[in-house]
Amino acid sequence: MELKELKERQLKKANELTIWTEKYRPKKFEGVVGQDDIIKKVQNLTKSLNIPHMMFAGPAGTGKSTLALIVVKELFGPTWKENYLELNASDERGIDVVRQKVKDFARTKALGDVPFKVIFLDEADALTREAQQALRRTMENFTGTCRFILSCNYSSKIIDPIQSRTAIFRFKLLERKDIERIIKKIAESENLQISDKTIETLYEGSEGDCRRVINLLQASASISPAITSELVSTLISSAKPADIKIVLEYALSGDFERAKEKLLDVMLKESVSGTDIIKSIQKEVWNLQIDDELKVKLTEKTGEIEFRLVEGSDEFIQLEALLASFVLAGKGIVK
Amino acid sequence: MLPKTLPLIEKYRVKKFSDIRGQDIAIQEVINFYKRFPMKKALILNGPVGTGKTSLVIALANEFNLELFELNASDLRNRLKLEEVLRPSIEQHSLFRKGKLILMDEADGITGTDRGGLPELIALIDKTSHPIIITANDIWDRKFNLLRKRCHLVSVNELTDKVILNIIKDILKKENKSLRPETIIMISVLAKGDVRAALNDLQTAISLGEQAFLEELSEREKEESIFNALKNVFQNKTEEKTIRVYDNTKLELDEILLWVEENIPSEYKGEALAKAYDSLSKADVFRGRIYRQQYWRFLLYQNFFLSAGISTATKLKYKKFTKYRKPSRILKIWLSNQKNAKKKSIIAKYSQRCHISKRKANKEAFLFPLIIDREANKRLDLDEKETEWLKERKHDMIMSNNLNRFA
Repeated sequence: MELKELKERQLKKANELTIWTEKYRPKKFEGVVGQDDIIKKVQNLTKSLNIPHMMFAGPAGTGKSTLALIVVKELFGPTWKENYLELNASDERGIDVVRQKVKDFARTKALGDVPFKVIFLDEADALTREAQQALRRTMENFTGTCRFILSCNYSSKIIDPIQSRTAIFRFKLLERKDIERIIKKIAESENLQISDKTIETLYEGSEGDCRRVINLLQASASISPAITSELVSTLISSAKPADIKIVLEYALSGDFERAKEKLLDVMLKESVSGTDIIKSIQKEVWNLQIDDELKVKLTEKTGEIEFRLVEGSDEFIQLEALLASFVLAGKGIVK
Repeated sequence: MLPKTLPLIEKYRVKKFSDIRGQDIAIQEVINFYKRFPMKKALILNGPVGTGKTSLVIALANEFNLELFELNASDLRNRLKLEEVLRPSIEQHSLFRKGKLILMDEADGITGTDRGGLPELIALIDKTSHPIIITANDIWDRKFNLLRKRCHLVSVNELTDKVILNIIKDILKKENKSLRPETIIMISVLAKGDVRAALNDLQTAISLGEQAFLEELSEREKEESIFNALKNVFQNKTEEKTIRVYDNTKLELDEILLWVEENIPSEYKGEALAKAYDSLSKADVFRGRIYRQQYWRFLLYQNFFLSAGISTATKLKYKKFTKYRKPSRILKIWLSNQKNAKKKSIIAKYSQRCHISKRKANKEAFLFPLIIDREANKRLDLDEKETEWLKERKHDMIMSNNLNRFA
């Protein structure tokens, strides 16, 4: 298809444009890609109008929230919003959330035919242990009026008593063919031109996360309807936060002031914590094109500073000290 | 009548010897030098800034009706320049049949780029037919060894607080202004023997008003005290009192930590830099322990690493002029938080609408500028500032990645 024609078609679509991750979120069980066994089981449970507490475990962007939403929509129909509470444990991870929001909602009776409400607790593995203990009691006490769907990346971070009270469903990482199916469906409906190579790049860049694929797709489409693999990889590489490598290179070339400036820049712009920075430094050091012995020396310094970072109060000062020691150890080794 | 806008320091510039306070001995020496010329051909006036060295020379010129030929730090003083400028004036008689007086002001400034300046000055002293007066703050510096031998040396002492107090009172009377006695005393004490500083402060006090002046003073005092402490730590030999350098500053130890952090790179390089930061890092570790354990005796160690620790980072101490910088990091953090506030609020709205946590939304946020279009904008209920932020980021993103080449 001609590029011009594509653009015109896209313009016509402009009126209905919105956020694609929402637009293409499956509304029915049949639409969910790549989790066939789970879908079948959950669908049957839902049909019986009686679901147990459930736990959806698996990587990001594999359809956990989507499935939860489908379940409540199937159960409650148009009144789903009144009977459904969604909480993000990673945003509100204290015990108070469980005690107040969850209890208040669970306490009252459900509206409509179904005798219970549903609480979806996203990223439940981010809850503190105390909060999980509190949650366990709440789950037992309010089973009559309320069912829980927990989602988590790792079920091992959920305390055993909760695991034993839920039906656990393990979501698989999406395979290439699943991702391809999704991409092709969207491409067709949005009139996008996408080659196999582009699909490959999208898949590689997303690491099986469907949300990331769709976001990348939409971002690319906002630049051009003919999406090349270069465009996608440019976007992906712009996401890599922390240009820690550059910071290290400045330091090892002996330019302390620029290393320090760049470090602060990275930390502030991406709001990255000192702990995250030191983790990437530790990884990056091993990839540097320098003598192995020096790598060992630098890693030893990194370890010492990570220890001090935990003990100290000002992360940036600790990282500066690390850079200063790199400047000395590097003696301008990187040109 | 002089215009009102003329700074006090110019308006009340000394014209006669009788205008000079507290330097009676120096005045006598200067007169003697002139009268006995050419027994000694050059005179050095050595003393701290603002004690009246230049004024002494100006007064001498006025009293004896001499044409004053002046070179100061703002002029280039290398060999060629000196030769070109000074020789004619030294060898010729004055146009107006006046006697001539040559003033080499602020000789400490002859350095580096003034290559050959000092030897040429010495050569000129030997030949001159006019008296030369040189002013300096520290004539005992090694570079002046040869020059010193050829000159008569006069010390100009610091003025006492009382002398300065009287000068201020006189000027206030002439200006028909009044200040509270405490303010006058404060100005004269803070001047530390420097009339110029005193007059500048007086000017500020008169034009800003007394209250504002006092506020400015306390701010300056803080800075001055930390300047001195830093100079001490970075440039003086480590000694017993090093661990007490911060005692007299009016800043908290935590604030001092930031001052030290900001200024290490301009004082130390290489090994010293690494050692100094190592010490700073240890000071911070103790600070962290104080916060967590509320064990305040650790303050001692925090102070120790900030003073002795930084000071011993190098043995090669030398004096140089460093303009210490105010800690800038806190301001940068604040500014960046202001900027990130819009991003955060967008993330909050997005995460609610799209059923994900803020943490996950943050990971996707780099694509927001391209994903959130006009329609989505409405659905997310973004305000004007948030929309503006997205627009700017979109522009940045397209430019910095040269995305238009794909369009």
